[in-house]
Amino acid sequence: MTDSSVAAMPGARSKRKAWPAELNALIGLIVIMILFEIIGWIVVDQSFLMNKLRLSIMITQVAVVGILAVGVTQVIISGGIDLSGGSIIGATAMIAMSFAQVGTNARAIFHAQGWVDLPIIIPIMVGLSVALICGLINGLLIAYVKLPPFIATLGMMVSARGVALWYTKGQPISFPTESFMAIGDGLMPVWIFIAIAALFTLILKFTVYGRHTYAIGSNEASARMSGINVERHLMQVYVIAALLAGLAGLVLVARAQTAQAVFGTMNELDAIAMAVIGGVSLSGGRGSILGTALGMLIFGVIFSGFIFLSVDAYYQNMVKGAIIVGAVALDQWRQKRQAREV
Amino acid sequence: MKKLVIGAGAAALISSGAQAADKKIGATLSSLEFTFIAVMAKGMTDHAAKLPGVKLQLEDAKNDVANQLSQVQNFIASGVDAIIVNAVDTSATQAMTDAAAKAKIPLVYVNRQPINVDTLPDNQAFVASNEVDSGTLETKEICRILKDKGKGKGANVVVLVGELSNQAAVQRTKDVHDVIATPDCNFMKVVEEQTGGWKRDAGQDIVTNWISKGVKFDAIIANNDDMALGAINALKKAGISTKDIPVGGVDATQEALKAMQDGDLAVTVFQDAAGQGSGSIDTALKIAGGAKVDKKVYIPFRLVTPANIKDYLAKN
Repeated sequence: MTDSSVAAMPGARSKRKAWPAELNALIGLIVIMILFEIIGWIVVDQSFLMNKLRLSIMITQVAVVGILAVGVTQVIISGGIDLSGGSIIGATAMIAMSFAQVGTNARAIFHAQGWVDLPIIIPIMVGLSVALICGLINGLLIAYVKLPPFIATLGMMVSARGVALWYTKGQPISFPTESFMAIGDGLMPVWIFIAIAALFTLILKFTVYGRHTYAIGSNEASARMSGINVERHLMQVYVIAALLAGLAGLVLVARAQTAQAVFGTMNELDAIAMAVIGGVSLSGGRGSILGTALGMLIFGVIFSGFIFLSVDAYYQNMVKGAIIVGAVALDQWRQKRQAREV
Repeated sequence: MKKLVIGAGAAALISSGAQAADKKIGATLSSLEFTFIAVMAKGMTDHAAKLPGVKLQLEDAKNDVANQLSQVQNFIASGVDAIIVNAVDTSATQAMTDAAAKAKIPLVYVNRQPINVDTLPDNQAFVASNEVDSGTLETKEICRILKDKGKGKGANVVVLVGELSNQAAVQRTKDVHDVIATPDCNFMKVVEEQTGGWKRDAGQDIVTNWISKGVKFDAIIANNDDMALGAINALKKAGISTKDIPVGGVDATQEALKAMQDGDLAVTVFQDAAGQGSGSIDTALKIAGGAKVDKKVYIPFRLVTPANIKDYLAKN
């Protein structure tokens, strides 16, 4: 990991003003939007973009994964990877929902104990606690036991899904309270995403936490030599990633008004893809939340665009895969070119 | 004389007890992640617990074909009396059929129809509900409701399809088109069709996208209840009354029944998951006991509407 990030370093520090990776994503987003707009007029005879409802659903349908992607982005910038997000969503969703059920539902998980119609803060705290535990385990295994992040979070991916399944033996949990549903109602997921994205943009840009995250991702050895407590910092990075996954899980159940053990499956890969499309380098040290947000929008636009054109979902996945690979290929090519210019 | 009778009786008791204790059943289920499979699993364990001497070993194949095959091979190696398989991949069942047939152990497929269903050996069977019924019952009821609403001259419907790789999704969607092809219901027209992968949020997102496009539709037919409930959410958010747009699903989940009581869901179809589970055990025991059974044992689907919902409230 460190070798490749050392190689990437001179590129990032190129004397000429570098072409920011986010710009690629922005151009990609605009090109895709214009394509759908033009095809829309030809095939459907209406505007793709001049439609308030469509614009809002484009963002709403990807906001939950977007929240997860913010956490994943800072992990990738720190030179690691987090595969456990989707499963943490599942585990958080199930356990939190069991504390958010209405009392009129006689089958509520904790009906006998009387833990129903609880104030919204309880399921939120329970959910975030579940995520916190997952994050602490990830962090411990990576920072102190020195497991590669891929392996540690792969283990968590499998185990957290196991927890989600074990909790009710696969049965869904339903009938949440009105106040809990409000977290996922209407544009709420979008507002939460924007708040989180803005917060972490500031944190990564202007705080010590942010600088250390980039430093460790660029070159862990030199970060250590310059006095950064790498272990403690990585611990924080993975805990924050897990907490954001937990938050995504809470928003998802509130939106779906039901919790199922499969929730979040494959979301970790979508989140990583969003970051990568947005120019976050898998070798660490480079990238931004803005890039990831653009990657997220590309996903949302494609999803809506294909439904708009009544295209089968089969093609949607094929195109998604091609975009991910294309974005990384472009990024690699740019890195090489910049490295030559130094 | 008396002693002898008692002795014989005791011997009979012991031998029947020993025989019953011998009945070990190994079951491998595609994935306990799915609600339906979980209800089915519960139906199996509950039923097995009621049968004296029947021991059920339940395994989760975690949606992995290779996993499932090795679970079946392990069952064979440990000498079970019968095997129950809820196939991960319905087109990859031949290997399991061959393995069980070679070991002369009865095998029962449950819920998901194996591709080799018509060539199963004598000691193998398939227990399920006839998948053709569910989509057909649902679509016919939507057709009837639309006619009642005076839309028998022409009506647009949209279809939410389950996971594309799943046979039930394919069949239920085909049923929709088959019913619409009949003279009785050919006033209906499918104007949009998308996959929501069985998921509620996806159902909501897709219908919202359709509404944003200005798609005019008179009814929504979903392959399962969760997507139907998502569709209802989308309608409500857009200020469209579910009184005007009947929404149909399949599964009769608790929430679907609640939505029906609230007047939001027009129709759902009850697939007896627990009944399929217990039915698979009964069939497996019958074959293991040497009895002949039909190749396909059907547990009926039932239409659930506001008129008969009371009968189903406590079932799933």
